[in-house]
Amino acid sequence: MPERAFQQIDVFSQRPGDGNPLAVVLDAQGLSDADMQRFATWANLSETTYLLPPTEAGLAAGADYRVRIFSPRGELSFAGHPTLGSCHAWLQAGHQPRVAGAIVQECAGGFVRIEQSDGLLAFAAPPMQRSAPNPALLALVTGALGLRPQQVLAAQVLDNGPRWLALLLPSAELVLGLQPDHARLKDLGQDVGVVHVAPSASDTSRPGVTVRAFAAPMGNPEDPVTGSLNGSLAQWLIAEGLAPQRYLVAQGERLGRAGRVHIRQDEQGQVWVGGQSVTCIQGTALL
Amino acid sequence: MRQRPFQQVDVFTATPYLGNPLAVVLDGEGLSTQAMQQFTNWTNLSEATFVLPPTPEGRAAGADYRVRIFCPGAELPFAGHPTLGTCHAWLQAGGQPRTPGRVVQECGVGLVTLRQDGERLAFAAPPLLQSGPLDEVDVERIARGLGVARSDIVHHAWCHNGPHWRAVLLRSAEQVLGLRPDPATLGGLSIGVVGPRSAARQAADGCAFEVRAFFPGNHGLAEDPVTGSLNAALAQWLIPAHLAPRSYVVSQGTALGRAGRVHVDQEGAQTWIGGQAVTCMRGEVRL
Repeated sequence: MPERAFQQIDVFSQRPGDGNPLAVVLDAQGLSDADMQRFATWANLSETTYLLPPTEAGLAAGADYRVRIFSPRGELSFAGHPTLGSCHAWLQAGHQPRVAGAIVQECAGGFVRIEQSDGLLAFAAPPMQRSAPNPALLALVTGALGLRPQQVLAAQVLDNGPRWLALLLPSAELVLGLQPDHARLKDLGQDVGVVHVAPSASDTSRPGVTVRAFAAPMGNPEDPVTGSLNGSLAQWLIAEGLAPQRYLVAQGERLGRAGRVHIRQDEQGQVWVGGQSVTCIQGTALL
Repeated sequence: MRQRPFQQVDVFTATPYLGNPLAVVLDGEGLSTQAMQQFTNWTNLSEATFVLPPTPEGRAAGADYRVRIFCPGAELPFAGHPTLGTCHAWLQAGGQPRTPGRVVQECGVGLVTLRQDGERLAFAAPPLLQSGPLDEVDVERIARGLGVARSDIVHHAWCHNGPHWRAVLLRSAEQVLGLRPDPATLGGLSIGVVGPRSAARQAADGCAFEVRAFFPGNHGLAEDPVTGSLNAALAQWLIPAHLAPRSYVVSQGTALGRAGRVHVDQEGAQTWIGGQAVTCMRGEVRL
């Protein structure tokens, strides 16, 4: 078994330990699917990624690198924090994108554009389908969160691959105070995101939006900082005029983290999900 | 914050990714308890350890190194797989014991002696803090929670050596491997299950018993891949009760796709718990 270059990155954070960790194997050529899954299961992080050269089709389409994303349970077509963390590791390893400041990632879900500016990487949020939740399910989820129905200002099912039931709540205190019945949410089979938008949210000098992500059905009762959910939330909230076109999210506080997600909608209407990343562990993995 | 030498070690296996992982920070000097706890939580592993020079008292008593052992949420005075994994990492990093072949570890419970048996390391099992049969109420609850008949539990005992293991001996290893424990019934209990393997299987790979360890994780009942403390306590129960020979090998983690091997040796009054370990990641951590 050779030693392969390895990094463990903290994503959506500038200080090690404040964000969402990601394991990245920087040269995965020659690894089988079973090798990748075994290492991801053993590493026990929410995701482990494997960097590869683009496929021929990917190269023709402008891809700078290819990534395969594994959770301990299986391969994912796309995920947000692994995208930013993989891109960070790829750049840290000395690679240069074909177009400065604009990286193209090839993954099972297709091509993802990543912008680099001011020490921040941001991915273009993938297309999202949304719909009104089933009222019976909404009532059960509201109950499992310990909320009264009138405390939910708005609710929506958001699907960009991962499918979240999102609830807009009237205060950050309420969001941070939630003690969900995770066993119940697991039984309901529904991943749930909760969000509060402060009136001052357009001031991005400090976080104006508070988010928590509960994913017991995926085996992860609370995710520290969640790229896909924040992308979908932004597409919903901005479209409905419930949030400004640019805002800063705080996530992970109840887990002792201080994740920061930078949200921006550009002139073309594309939502970008950004954050800082920091390499915490650097070395080799036997793989 | 600075770069510190780091290893992630797989314990109770010679084959990478078939054992129980452990994160080892090889120079923990200057880190606060809070920094150690936060890094442990971030790794999402069952334990992380921090190597330090022995205290003056430890050094006077013969300690080669000191280790602090953390699980998510708390510091532990002692734990088995972290002891073997830390000692392996310390030796890999060039540590030289004062007595060749014998390493003295200082940790929360005091001094623990390890010995090198060829490729294996073994620790001297700490004494049992509570032994004797379980309450019949507990036994019936465990039978119900494991989904076996009460009569399938042929022996049972307290195996408390820090962790409060309640242990049951089933009729066969096949029964142990087929268990689907019910978290609602077993919630809050740490359960060790052991069953004898058939003569044919034992002849094939040398393992006399199959063991599984269930404990209250942060999302209901969890299963530990390979467990030093439980195997130590099981040996201290089974050997004096003539339910196991004085020397045997345990297979654990099979149901999780691992292949942990725990070597038990009773010498006089002392039980030794041994296994191989392999460094899977090495490098530096920013802490």
